[in-house]
Amino acid sequence: MDHFSLKRSNAPDRGNSNLSSKVYVRSTKSGKVQKIVRELYLRQDIPCSSNLCRACLDIAPKDYTNKTASFVLSDTPAGSKNFPNGQYLVPDTNAFLTGMDLFEVETAFHDVIVLQTVLEEVKNRSLPLYHRLVALTKNEGKRFYVFFNEFRQETYISRGTGETINDRNDRAVRQAVQWYNTHIKEAIKARSKKQMRIPSVVMITDDRDNLRKAKAESIPAIKLSDFVSGLENADELLDMISAAQDQREVRSKQTEVFYPEHYSISKMMTGVKAGTMHQGIFNVSPYNYLEGSVHVPTFDKSLLVLGRENGNRAVSGDVVVVEVLPTDQWKAPSTKIIEEETLNKNDNAEIEDGETITSERERKALQEEVKRAHGQSSEGKPQPTARVVGIVKRNWRQYVGHIDQGSVRSTSKSSRQQQMVFLVPMDKRVPKIRIRTRQAGELLGQRVLATIDSWERNSRYPMGHFVRSLGELESKGAETEALLLEWDVQYKPFPKTVLDCLPAEGHDWKVPASTDDPGWKGRRDLRDLLVCSIDPPGCVDIDDALHARQLPNGNFEVGVHIADVSHFVKPNNAMDKEASQRGTTVYLVDKRIDMLPMLLGTDLCSLKPYVERYAFSVLWEVTPDADIVSAHFTKSVIRSREAFSYEQAQIRIDDDSHQDELTNGMRTLLMLSKKLKQKRYDAGALNLASPEVKVQTESETSDPVDVQTKKLLDTNSLVEEFMLLANISVAAKNYEAFPQTALLRRHAAPPKTNFEELSNQLKVKKGLELRSDSSKAVADSLDQCTDANEPFFNTLVRIMATRCMMSAEYFCAGTQAYPEFRHYGLASEIYTHFTSPIRRYADLEAHRQLAAAIDYEPLDASLQSKSKLEGVCKNINVRHRNAQMAGRASIEYYVGQALKGKDINEDGFVMKIFSNGFVVFVPRFGIESLIRLRDLAAPEPEAEFDAENYVLKIKGDVQRNIELFEKVTVRITDEVEESTGKRKVKLTLV
Amino acid sequence: MAPSQAAQVNLSPAELSFLRSSLSQTPPIRLDNTKGPRDFRSMVAEYDVLPSTNGSARIALDDGTEALVGVKAEVEKSLWRPNVEGRRALSIAAGDVDMTDDDKLESHDNKGKGQNSWIEISVEIPGYRDDDALPVFLASMLTESLLSSGELKDRLYINNRFHWKLGIDILLLSPPLSYPLALLSMTTHLALLTAHLPALKSEKDEDPLFDDDWDAAVPLYPKSDSSGGANVDKPPVIVLAMAVGPNIIFDPCKEELAVADAVLAIACAPSNASSTGPRIVSIRTIDPPSHLTPPAVPNAMNSATGGVAPASTAEALTQRELLSASGVWTPPRGGMKRDLIKRVSSMVVDKGGVAEEVIAALQAIEVG
Repeated sequence: MDHFSLKRSNAPDRGNSNLSSKVYVRSTKSGKVQKIVRELYLRQDIPCSSNLCRACLDIAPKDYTNKTASFVLSDTPAGSKNFPNGQYLVPDTNAFLTGMDLFEVETAFHDVIVLQTVLEEVKNRSLPLYHRLVALTKNEGKRFYVFFNEFRQETYISRGTGETINDRNDRAVRQAVQWYNTHIKEAIKARSKKQMRIPSVVMITDDRDNLRKAKAESIPAIKLSDFVSGLENADELLDMISAAQDQREVRSKQTEVFYPEHYSISKMMTGVKAGTMHQGIFNVSPYNYLEGSVHVPTFDKSLLVLGRENGNRAVSGDVVVVEVLPTDQWKAPSTKIIEEETLNKNDNAEIEDGETITSERERKALQEEVKRAHGQSSEGKPQPTARVVGIVKRNWRQYVGHIDQGSVRSTSKSSRQQQMVFLVPMDKRVPKIRIRTRQAGELLGQRVLATIDSWERNSRYPMGHFVRSLGELESKGAETEALLLEWDVQYKPFPKTVLDCLPAEGHDWKVPASTDDPGWKGRRDLRDLLVCSIDPPGCVDIDDALHARQLPNGNFEVGVHIADVSHFVKPNNAMDKEASQRGTTVYLVDKRIDMLPMLLGTDLCSLKPYVERYAFSVLWEVTPDADIVSAHFTKSVIRSREAFSYEQAQIRIDDDSHQDELTNGMRTLLMLSKKLKQKRYDAGALNLASPEVKVQTESETSDPVDVQTKKLLDTNSLVEEFMLLANISVAAKNYEAFPQTALLRRHAAPPKTNFEELSNQLKVKKGLELRSDSSKAVADSLDQCTDANEPFFNTLVRIMATRCMMSAEYFCAGTQAYPEFRHYGLASEIYTHFTSPIRRYADLEAHRQLAAAIDYEPLDASLQSKSKLEGVCKNINVRHRNAQMAGRASIEYYVGQALKGKDINEDGFVMKIFSNGFVVFVPRFGIESLIRLRDLAAPEPEAEFDAENYVLKIKGDVQRNIELFEKVTVRITDEVEESTGKRKVKLTLV
Repeated sequence: MAPSQAAQVNLSPAELSFLRSSLSQTPPIRLDNTKGPRDFRSMVAEYDVLPSTNGSARIALDDGTEALVGVKAEVEKSLWRPNVEGRRALSIAAGDVDMTDDDKLESHDNKGKGQNSWIEISVEIPGYRDDDALPVFLASMLTESLLSSGELKDRLYINNRFHWKLGIDILLLSPPLSYPLALLSMTTHLALLTAHLPALKSEKDEDPLFDDDWDAAVPLYPKSDSSGGANVDKPPVIVLAMAVGPNIIFDPCKEELAVADAVLAIACAPSNASSTGPRIVSIRTIDPPSHLTPPAVPNAMNSATGGVAPASTAEALTQRELLSASGVWTPPRGGMKRDLIKRVSSMVVDKGGVAEEVIAALQAIEVG
């Protein structure tokens, strides 16, 4: 009888040595559990990618142009003390996990071999680190090479019986290192008999067992910290090793635990599914660092998380799972300002024992709060509270901050002693970070970038490590970089791949003279129209231009011409990808961080005067009553006659001596825009206000000189009205053409509860009524909110009302029902962004969709996929918000700088009252600032807080009642805020 | 009661008669004369033939019949059973998943929590539809033997809300040359013996979460008890025995079955207690194909040879009754004697009996 077998042999010795398989268990989202068997075909043509080796050059796979990928690793790698002949580094997984910041340093760590085994393990352990590692391998200067050792026959090893996966992977790394060493040796021998300098391939690992085994097998291996100590500026580099590992060693000594353990993932998931636990994003109140909130779908109002213990090591931004606490522990949201630095000024970063999780003072502050919640009940209904039981996803990023001076033991710059210090983040919602550093003396007074590595149960504060120093506190460069980092703005120069996408002609690019040129295909020649642009003074990226002329039938033709960016930025090339990542141009006071390279933004796309430019035009026929008769969209070529600033345009319109066609066209536009505006307001559009100020800077140094509130002219609203009209028309057209994938912008109606507080405040303090049943009602009642004695009061209310609104967002048409498209603020059924493609990515996408809708060009596949568009929307929504925040932070910084050393008395208004302080808004500078009771007099005066009437009765020497909306005179000075190191405006009551 | 096979043996009454008489000698002479009455046909067996199943096995007999079995396990949500899990199930329904430690004592005890529906067996035989009698009866007999001990289904219990669903796919690769029950049972036994389930990581009533390392998977039938004792459960195996005259013959081939007086399928499982031998978990008689063979006509009843053909059927029957010992082929009639069943069972179950031998042999495949 024949002994044949159905089994495919897995044993390497049975002939099929190039075939292996991998078996694992996969759990799917739907709860299925599958055994997966993957066949693995081992090959011998995976090159070592060292420029020393010729043999690999011959076997390396070739692409369709018959070229092999160029080899990565240098033929003369840098040496070190232990390996004077040069070394290739092979880090293991833990080396990357703990030292990723090190590997990213430009000056060290070149010629690194990233093994596939390691790369996959890094991916499983931490996705963000994996992405950083992949980015590193693409950085040509660093010479990182990914070697697919699991696919190369010589370096593949199968798992032994009873061997754990970790042991197997460690062995695979050692095997690869060994192979590399012999391979390089042979390569050099083949090259020349004389060459003596044979670089070593060195494994970097911190695993003791692995080191021991490597030693036994005589494989070169070294500890990460040992290797770094051998490098120049070792102190700085050593600080960059993640602290997570140090912690591990200390743990055995430390037995005291401060925080309860997190639940297991499966337990949390079961709980969330069963409805006993809730998942949401943990947000910390900017006023009270002990109060967090988690919005979960089950509850209307956010769940409050009070105190550190309930927060259980969650950091603002983390996705957490919470458990609702019993009703008797519910409480009203805090009316007290609690700031970390005032309570825990004297914490010592070095010593942990003897500490309790909630310091005595914190506990006292919390208890007072709870008492208050039980004492009164009419206002401030107790809100459900919760505690964090586990963390689904950490959203830790890099944090900018400064070293807490009090935590530094020895400030001597020469001392290289390692000490534990606190980094106080700029973002008040983030707790202090414990950092171990050897350069404490140098880092004092610097802006420092750091990350959080871990937060163990036995540590009151998270552990982190130093990444780099941005420069002196308060220096312009450091502060600007700090706020860009804090708001995650990509500010590095455009990479070469992006610049390669620009037209080769550079600044010499012109609209082709001959109308037969392919660039003219499908374009209308609108060069004879009298087009002009109106923008803020000094604007170089001109997105839009306008024209108007009378038609024979008495109607008007109005045109809005938008820069044709989509002509230059084709979908899915490197420039498009970069732009979609950046999402928007960020405007800081003295700086602009462009979404598109300068050449396009300020020249080729920009609708500069006197030159021909490609444009995307929207042309309407409008009756003298500003009713739209028809709308027409076309790609075009225009020549702008003039670029005005708002002021110039206003002067020209107002000056009757100008009777040329261009000026008359502008007068027509102005006339129509006023009618359009009235129509919008009649439909219920809101006129909201935000404090806008302008910082005047000295032209050379861009040092701030003065601060002014922005003036609004008629011409501002002229441009605005027609841009809105264009956006609405384009939105309707795109939606009609692509009902599933049109990229639109919506502004959801705010839930009633948002207005509750403001409306109550107005009723109590001023006897006014704020109706919020529709945007029309809000608009009308906001108009009623005036105070005859105080013209600014109306603006104040509008500013406060704006804060009650939802934020507008981009979305993909297929993801919402039509009624949800509505733009609440503009009272428009449908809306999108079309008019600023140079500085917003959403507009660029809208351009592409419109071009397809008018059959100018086919639509790219990326704009037809709903899921891809959703991803784009999500990103640009975040970028948009961050850009706004960065802009505001920049203004805040410059206002601070402008007021530096000044001492002024100004009028201000009380916006918000706490039980131990209040917020004052100063319209002249657009600043709002907190005045604490303890700032008024020392010792802190007693005060009685009447929450129902919004009055704070201050006793003691001050003897004064502070009421909401009250006009107060404040003295403005500046000071450096201790907690964040920012220069901030300080207000005191006069 | 199992069905008779549709495929008939093409043997003449004379051949049948010869076969029967040689089998009923003492000692019997089997068709393959090298084999004694207790000998099985030689076979080739291997396991883990299908890499993506939880367990699999293939057995080929030397007469060319061959079977392939794959075992697949899937996680399934358990139905709410108020009568069994009264208190605890109710508390789940109320949205309050029980996660406290008060049931620690019960948590390891799966006894009686398994359900019959958690095991599903399908048998496929070439040339038969899946609703034909033979595959259906084979499947139900195999299911019966697996369920009867109750330990397998309890092993599939994960927690109050989830269980494993075991799908056993049995495939006969060749046409059924002999009655394939024993072969299928042995192959299934081997597949189950080598089957593994992913290791559970979550606790108690949580949604199950498994270790993604297949090497960490736990065997469906553990080699040794958690307490370290040797009293471990093994899947049952069915042996086929037939009686011819005074003799009992195991693992009959197709032709031998055609002259059987009676056929018995006995499912045995190794006993829990190590001291005693295997125990019988189920027993079935099988209608032997010999009942359907055409009878020979004796000379006395054949007018062509000078005999007198009987006038009526009743008369024919009486005459045949008298002729029974004469060597003329007459299909056996009637059932099995109680005493015979007793003899067969003791031969199977006794220490050193057939069952123990088979189970040890199959076990040896896995170990060696």
